[in-house]
Amino acid sequence: MSRPFLTGYCLLIYAFLLAPILVVVGASFNAGAFLTFPPQGLSFRWYITFFNNEVFMRAIRTSLWVAFVTMIISGVIGTMAALFHVLHARRSKDVVRIAMLAPLLLPEVLTAISLLFFVYAIGIGTQNMVGMIIGHVLITLPFVFINVSASLESFDPSWDMAARSLGAPKLVRFRRIMLPMIKSGVIGGCLFAFIISFDIFTISFMLKGVGTSTLPIQLFDYLRTNFTPEAAAVSTVSIVLTLTVVIISEKVLGLRIHRF
Amino acid sequence: MTEVSIEKLTKSYGNARAVNAISMKIAEGEFISLLGPSGCGKTTTLKMIAGFEDVTEGAIRFDGQDVVNTPAEKRDIGMVFQNYALFPHMTVEQNLAFGLEMRKVPKPQMRERIAKVLDMVQLKGYEARYPRQLSGGQQQRVALGRALVIEPKILLLDEPLANLDAKLREEMRVFIRDLQRRVGITTVYVTHDQAEAMTMSDRVVVMFGGRIAQIGSPTDIYERPENHEVAEFVGQVNLVQAKVESVGEGTATVTSPLGDFTLPTKISVKPGNMVSLALRPEAIELSKATEGQPAATVLASYYSGALMDYRLKLDNGDELHAQTFPVNRFAEGDRVALHAPAERFWLVGVSK
Repeated sequence: MSRPFLTGYCLLIYAFLLAPILVVVGASFNAGAFLTFPPQGLSFRWYITFFNNEVFMRAIRTSLWVAFVTMIISGVIGTMAALFHVLHARRSKDVVRIAMLAPLLLPEVLTAISLLFFVYAIGIGTQNMVGMIIGHVLITLPFVFINVSASLESFDPSWDMAARSLGAPKLVRFRRIMLPMIKSGVIGGCLFAFIISFDIFTISFMLKGVGTSTLPIQLFDYLRTNFTPEAAAVSTVSIVLTLTVVIISEKVLGLRIHRF
Repeated sequence: MTEVSIEKLTKSYGNARAVNAISMKIAEGEFISLLGPSGCGKTTTLKMIAGFEDVTEGAIRFDGQDVVNTPAEKRDIGMVFQNYALFPHMTVEQNLAFGLEMRKVPKPQMRERIAKVLDMVQLKGYEARYPRQLSGGQQQRVALGRALVIEPKILLLDEPLANLDAKLREEMRVFIRDLQRRVGITTVYVTHDQAEAMTMSDRVVVMFGGRIAQIGSPTDIYERPENHEVAEFVGQVNLVQAKVESVGEGTATVTSPLGDFTLPTKISVKPGNMVSLALRPEAIELSKATEGQPAATVLASYYSGALMDYRLKLDNGDELHAQTFPVNRFAEGDRVALHAPAERFWLVGVSK
């Protein structure tokens, strides 16, 4: 293939990926009363409306909180599962992998309905956010597992042996040798967990605690009756939040440091 | 300094025995090499000494104390790996400090010991570098330093030079050998490279199929190999047909195309037996052919700078490989006389 053709092809793919986002961001600065693109005049009025909308603000706080808790739980369980899978599982290796990836294979709606039955069967119900968080963990777990497994595959067992020969007990070896080497995988997996959890709709829709709402659900509710650019403003804020999380983690925690 | 003794050490995987009841004693400060082809059990033996492999049967004693049930992290060993296994997220200094931190050595003393070792491995000024910023040889020296800085009872090296290029490998051989002499640490070195084992070791342990074929000084191994397998593994061997004329007390007198010899023999032979005489290529000297001398025809000659290799054909049709200094050169088709001292021959087995 010729070079100009390839360049054009790449540009098309980028356009395909980014155009919807640009349209949403553009529409959010709309001065008019309806969600249209191109925007009719520029203004921040819908942002102001959004930030003054207590319902949306509560939803965004709930979403951030749920995403954070989900990230921590998924991060810990997913990392432990990956450690077992790569380092210790022998005959059970394939079974463990398939079991860990199963949530990816099931339609989310099915997972959500089954989980709904489950939380009522064991008496948790949907009075609080426990059921929803279980659902979020379930959906995000495979992403942590895959990321950490991948980074563990490149962990050289002789590093561990070297540390043993130098007199390091098991926990010290984990903390000082293994964890730093798989750090980028763990952080990457946790980021995925956070971002995906922030975005989950179906599970949250079925399992959200009574009287609570996450941002995607609140947005859906809103769009059923309203069609103002406020929805675009909400989406834009959500995009910015996600991007911020990614950029901050990359800068502060240093995903690039450990490339060698 | 520590003396290591290994008694009937065995490692089984199911029914397969990777290491089969081997015993050896390693003296204080001795440099010993485990030499053998891949799969001979040398690395498994090293890992058992280090504590990375469980022992199926037998004992490993450091200064008389059985360490079989001591975990690796408490055996007080220094180990150098084939791929160096430096911690990539730590600087040279942090790599060296790791073992000292585990031993809770106080900071000022730690700095002193690291500086001393860095000096020993000639890496002063490299403290702040990361392993990826070092060449292969430098990484190898950091690995050596990291193993030595903890002043372990024994030093274990698992094919440490296998990943280096030929020239560096030769330099590192001398470097490691000198360092080991200076520190005086008991050392076990695993390699499949006979030249490495010969140049570095006080004694070489040749292993085949999980068993020890021979333990001896490099000279013993090379010039007085226990059997033909050892002889073949540690160097090139010529085999010449010979006939037993008479048998004495542990000796046999044979006639061969290279002359008549009386040789010590470990195998039992009878007069009239056909046997093979083994001879190293460099034991043969060549001169211009004269009457009455065993002679051969030059088939081909190869010049490699320091040495000259010849492919020769005896009058009975057998081929020989001879290696000489390139002083008198012979060309293809030349007739040459062969001289080989009796003490460089050994008998290897009866052929029908």
